[in-house]
Amino acid sequence: MSNDSSSTSGVLGLDHETEERLHRIVLGISGLIAAFVGIFPIYWMAQNSLVTRQAVLDGPVLIPSPEEVTLSNFAIIFNNDVVMYFFNTTVVTIGTIVSVCILSLIAGYGLARFEWSQKENFARFLLFGYMFSPIVLGLPLYLIWQSLGLLNTRVGLIISLTAISMPFSVWLMWKYIQTIPRSMEESAWVAGASRWRAFRDVVVPQTKPSIIAAALFAFAIAWNDFTFAQILLPKNEATTFAPGMMRLVNQGYNIGWNEIMVVSLLMTVPPLLFAYFLQDYLLKGFEIRSL
Amino acid sequence: MVNVKIQNMTRKFGDSDSDSEIIAADDIDLTIQDGEFITLVGPSGCGKTTTLRCVAGLDTPTSGSVHFGDRDVTDLPPQERDIALLFQDIALYPHMTVRDNMAYGLKIAGVSKKERYEKVAEAAELLQITEQLDKKPADLSGGQQQRVALGRSIVRDPTVFLFDEPMSDLDAKLKRELRPIIQQVTDQIDCPVLYVTHDQEEAMTMSDRVAVINEGQIEQISPPEEIYNQPATEFVADFIGQPAMQFFDGHVSRDNGSTILEIGTHSFDSMQTNKLEGYSNQTVRVGVRPQHIRVNGSQNDGISATHILDEPLGDQTNSFFETEFGEVVVVTPPGFEGKGKKYSLSFTTEDILLFDQDSHIRIT
Repeated sequence: MSNDSSSTSGVLGLDHETEERLHRIVLGISGLIAAFVGIFPIYWMAQNSLVTRQAVLDGPVLIPSPEEVTLSNFAIIFNNDVVMYFFNTTVVTIGTIVSVCILSLIAGYGLARFEWSQKENFARFLLFGYMFSPIVLGLPLYLIWQSLGLLNTRVGLIISLTAISMPFSVWLMWKYIQTIPRSMEESAWVAGASRWRAFRDVVVPQTKPSIIAAALFAFAIAWNDFTFAQILLPKNEATTFAPGMMRLVNQGYNIGWNEIMVVSLLMTVPPLLFAYFLQDYLLKGFEIRSL
Repeated sequence: MVNVKIQNMTRKFGDSDSDSEIIAADDIDLTIQDGEFITLVGPSGCGKTTTLRCVAGLDTPTSGSVHFGDRDVTDLPPQERDIALLFQDIALYPHMTVRDNMAYGLKIAGVSKKERYEKVAEAAELLQITEQLDKKPADLSGGQQQRVALGRSIVRDPTVFLFDEPMSDLDAKLKRELRPIIQQVTDQIDCPVLYVTHDQEEAMTMSDRVAVINEGQIEQISPPEEIYNQPATEFVADFIGQPAMQFFDGHVSRDNGSTILEIGTHSFDSMQTNKLEGYSNQTVRVGVRPQHIRVNGSQNDGISATHILDEPLGDQTNSFFETEFGEVVVVTPPGFEGKGKKYSLSFTTEDILLFDQDSHIRIT
């Protein structure tokens, strides 16, 4: 049996080298398209926030001419309403992240280490939360929050946002903690550590990657949430960015598009930075588990 | 330093009313003297790890008790038992340095940092891992990791030392390196040691006494030599020894005053008569170690056998033969080549061990 090396062909019937090159080119093109789709809206926002109102009214332009560039739009940041929106959103988001991380860590540990008769059903029940879209939950929540006095409070919003972030985070923590061998905790117990101490010293440091993943998830949900904020924070003083933006737009003519773009940027940049810096940490966290 | 007394310890899993109840450890009775090294050995799932975990406090027995000296520890959690436990998967804390790993137990006990690190340095010196102290566990080899785990245990000066198959994940060379270190360390601490393994070589080389466990019950506890030469039951005889003991079915009969044992066409007539009383005209299990079987030419008296294959090991050869009793393994001299021919296997009366067919207990 002789093997004719020149007859080995790839998927399209061409030789290997050409196929490789084609593969790389197609990969590059699709990468560019994806990048464009992702970056263009941000560029558009940035571009529109840096030009004068007149330039915006003149019609959309891909690259503005230098005389139209101005930083005056950024004054809107100091508008009382905008500052308040930013503050509220930050508070609610931080509150949600902290609650989600702590609660899902503890719940995940419980699911991973303990057995009880209805455990499977309990885990599935958690996921039911995702069957409902926030709007469906928002209306009954309004009534409940009203009777509890949590309407128009940031705490009320934090609680509801934490609740919808929990199912995913709990599952994540559960599955991740399952990969940590029980013998590690057992060796801490033998060394004299209580269950809580062993949890703190041995389990938690190793769950950093999943804590960060849960934090990112909670951040995304909390920062961008529109429905719950709109329903549960009807008064302007307590409200967050998403419904706040809508109100700014509806307010009308004294707020122009370019100023809206500035506010949009303000709303978009923090998540970008958050994800960018934490992605390093996320990858680094996975190194430790290579034992 | 105290002894360890395990009395009538039973551990059951599952509902007591249902059929699915599993008796992992059945009425275990075992005393480890101060300074004694006892190995629990047996096949996977025999209950040795369950027993160890009950002694460690990671599991609670269904009935029975565990005492450390006069102290009843049966219901105490592991934190209060002052034991050391080496795990099969080593279980070092990956986010801490080796030094912090070893100092952890002392940290929990509230010892000052200076004193902690001093003790760690001492232990590291003994185990020759002083250069590894600032590294993370992931940077060490398997053997080094197990040494760190050992160091972690000795730093706390435990009352009882437990081992849960610590060398199962290591290769043969590492095992041989680690064995003397473990013996050295346990000699130095001089506390009772309970070592669990499925490797009989480890059991035989390291222990003062060996306890062979089968299906939750201890079949025999004796020093290694006794386990090898005087196995109490068929299971112990089969489990200990490499290659395993070869078994045949034999028939006992009496012929004017003397007792004859027939194995196939071969008969032995100088068997010990008193022990075989009551076995006339019955079948017994005959056990002979492969080292004691001789291979002769086919014309000689013995069990006829056809050669199948050889496993040359250098200093000896394991040869497989097909006989009327099935496959038989014989240890032959190095360089032996059977070449598929017919042979005759023989052995002497002194090398025969007889076992009761039903109770599997050794008769002679």
